[in-house]
Amino acid sequence: MKHPAVSIRNLKKKYGDTTALKGIDINIDDGEFFGLLGPNGAGKTTTINILTGLVRKDSGSTDIFGQDTISNYRFTRSQIGISAQEFAQDWFFPIEKLLYFQAGYYGISKSEARYKVDELFDRLGLDKKRKSRLRELSGGMKRRFQIAKALVHDPKIIILDEPTAGVDVKLRHELWEYFSELHQTGKTILLTTHYIEEAEMLCDKVAIIDKGEVIIEGTPKDLTGNQGDSGITINISDTEVDLKTHLNEFSYSHENERIHFISNDPEGDLPKIIDVLTKAGCHIQRVETTKSSLEDVFLKLTGKGINE
Amino acid sequence: MNWIGFWTLTSREVGRFFSVYRQTIIPGLSSSILYIVIFGFTLEKRISSIDGIPYTIFIIPGLIMMNALTNATSNSASSMLQMKLLGQLPDILQAPLSSFEISLAYIIGGTVRGTVNGLLILLVGMSLADMTIADPTTTILFIIIVSWAFSSIGLLLGQLAESWDQLATMQNFILTPLSFLGGIFYSIKMLPEWAQVASQYNPIYYMINGLRYTILNTSDSDPLTNLSVAIVLTIGFTLGAIMLMENGKKIKH
Repeated sequence: MKHPAVSIRNLKKKYGDTTALKGIDINIDDGEFFGLLGPNGAGKTTTINILTGLVRKDSGSTDIFGQDTISNYRFTRSQIGISAQEFAQDWFFPIEKLLYFQAGYYGISKSEARYKVDELFDRLGLDKKRKSRLRELSGGMKRRFQIAKALVHDPKIIILDEPTAGVDVKLRHELWEYFSELHQTGKTILLTTHYIEEAEMLCDKVAIIDKGEVIIEGTPKDLTGNQGDSGITINISDTEVDLKTHLNEFSYSHENERIHFISNDPEGDLPKIIDVLTKAGCHIQRVETTKSSLEDVFLKLTGKGINE
Repeated sequence: MNWIGFWTLTSREVGRFFSVYRQTIIPGLSSSILYIVIFGFTLEKRISSIDGIPYTIFIIPGLIMMNALTNATSNSASSMLQMKLLGQLPDILQAPLSSFEISLAYIIGGTVRGTVNGLLILLVGMSLADMTIADPTTTILFIIIVSWAFSSIGLLLGQLAESWDQLATMQNFILTPLSFLGGIFYSIKMLPEWAQVASQYNPIYYMINGLRYTILNTSDSDPLTNLSVAIVLTIGFTLGAIMLMENGKKIKH
């Protein structure tokens, strides 16, 4: 039986009187790009930190490839690479040495890590900064180094906690491209982000989390289709045509000259609808498609924006 | 056992203090030279000898011990606190390393620094004051044991402290007075009766006298008691540091 890459069941955590997680259930398949969306304090980082052993859970189970993250921590932690939201600082060593240290903690010797270190410095544009200290790097370079640290032991699961926070648009797009490449090589990626566009573009599946609970989970397309207000509105000039006969395969409402089609995929359905209407003899005057974003879904479900 | 991970963290700990030797090695060396020159050579005119040993030579084992234990303590304490405050600790806690491996790496880092500092003062004593060593092997072993014990104490303090201020308070108000009152500069026979009794409750007293015995063959306390106290403290604080790491108090939520 193939185990999911990450399996979280009924995970609960309290910090004093504050409930951080009320019983989270998340399943991430091997090779999946999974997004965890939620405002600050929703429980995203707590969930991640429990998976990696930094925070102790109160109850529930957390498995990585079917292995418990506490009793088999050596296996589970070696499968995970985490790019944390906060930058660590170091006053003593150049970043090249820090990257070798990071590989070493995961049981990879310097000679074994050399190829990967070179590859990461090259791919992330940090090659000329190898001998620099962390304090000498710009914010964008620090972010890239954070990602290199997550990847140096070649983990199967990559956790990206707000990986593009505070970087400029150009770098954000470069990182998106890199994350897609990693995903294509078969890596399982768990992404937390405030940038909904990022999740929509990259993720196979997303879960929206708020106040310690998963509110909804699904593919971005399903969520925007089922929970959003996507659709196509068409104005026609003649209303004599018997629409019921021609449009029986669609879900729509009709009022005077305006027909509104409910569609999860407006761009995909539009050519077919136009074709049917044209063949029925309708004169199309105006076409308008509306497509919901995850932001709209989030707003609808939580009553607030993700950055509030 | 994650040997590579353990070795990596250990070499990081050792490399860390060597990379800032001006802060971690030179100050202890220069202040000890000053102690020997100023206290030793000036007070030697008034205190000619203790147990037949010239005063300058008498204080050297105490200086070695003071340097070894303060350096061992501050290495593991400051490294742990620094990693906590600079956000580096998650890199280690999220890696496949056990609490035992992490603790041992920190303790070894502090032990190496304590031992290096202790041995340098030993060499200074031998060259400046023509000191000879009664039992060199036991001397080195004793410096290592005491450095290990105080490195473990440092790791405990580093885990518990939440700020530099807290750490400095623990070091300045507990460790430094205990070191000075342990008989670095005097024999407890020179103290009033009540102070002699009080000194016997100070573990550092046994460590200074233990080292003094291995170097000069003289001690205020029984040599076997000195060794026993050092070993018991080493085991106790090592276990304490590992258990605290496993418990995660002040370092995990």
